[in-house]
Amino acid sequence: MADDFDVEVISRDEDGRSARFLVRGLTPAMANGIRRAVVADVPTLSIDTVRFVENSSVMFDEMVALRLGLVPLTTPLDDFELGDTVTLALDVEGPATAYSGDLETSDSLVRPADENIPIIELKQGQRLEFEADAVLDTGKDHAKHQGGVAVGYRHLQRVEVLGDRDGFDEEEPHILRGVIETDEGELVHTEEFGADLTNRYPGKELAVTDVPDAFVFHVETDGSMDVDELVLRAVDSLRDRADELATKVAV
Amino acid sequence: MSYKCSRCKRDVELDEYGGVRCPYCGHRVLLKERAPVVKEVDVR
Repeated sequence: MADDFDVEVISRDEDGRSARFLVRGLTPAMANGIRRAVVADVPTLSIDTVRFVENSSVMFDEMVALRLGLVPLTTPLDDFELGDTVTLALDVEGPATAYSGDLETSDSLVRPADENIPIIELKQGQRLEFEADAVLDTGKDHAKHQGGVAVGYRHLQRVEVLGDRDGFDEEEPHILRGVIETDEGELVHTEEFGADLTNRYPGKELAVTDVPDAFVFHVETDGSMDVDELVLRAVDSLRDRADELATKVAV
Repeated sequence: MSYKCSRCKRDVELDEYGGVRCPYCGHRVLLKERAPVVKEVDVR
């Protein structure tokens, strides 16, 4: 089974943050396994401990720390191992807003994936200064380590034109979400025609069926790495665990 | 214990017998200052 996978990329963002791709030859269990691996098994760096030197802002240390933990950091996984730490620091004095871009890092490879995430707004005389340790861990440990956000899949749906519709029938919208396979074998996302099949096939009688073993994945990352890398790492982790199971079960 | 008088904003050291009162302006509302130590917080 493992050698007849067929992968086709349907759409991909220029910044590499999100992609939609079709995989044929998957069982539903495998599809869900990949989804779960993308969410929980690819490690990313996230702030884990914060040492506050000064916090005269209106928020408690713990609240600021929680916000910091959710700032996505770029994670070059080739250079880090699980449990490795990177130190970050921030020093902002009001009146100003402390943004994720104000964070200084000890490693130039690791920086906030987005520079414009507000951490807290500081008024005159308020100051925020801290040092923080980012740790490499997986989404299993804490949701802040999830590399994949909004990860999901749907069956590929085949739309067949059976013929012309009975002219006396009222034209009702036929809403369908996801990616369809047309009679010509073309892959079209339904958003392209307003998710309404009657826009694409006016006056036609249609049959919509799920294509067996074909799943359309939609993966979005938080910016810690490219979608390609995220998905490949997830699949690798799945394979590694399957191999581990195979060697342990074999006597 | 270091406090700050809420009226004259001056630092006040409270002792056991002086009662709660600012020695400079006599105001009875004192605010406790944040301790000047580094506080470590776990992000959980």
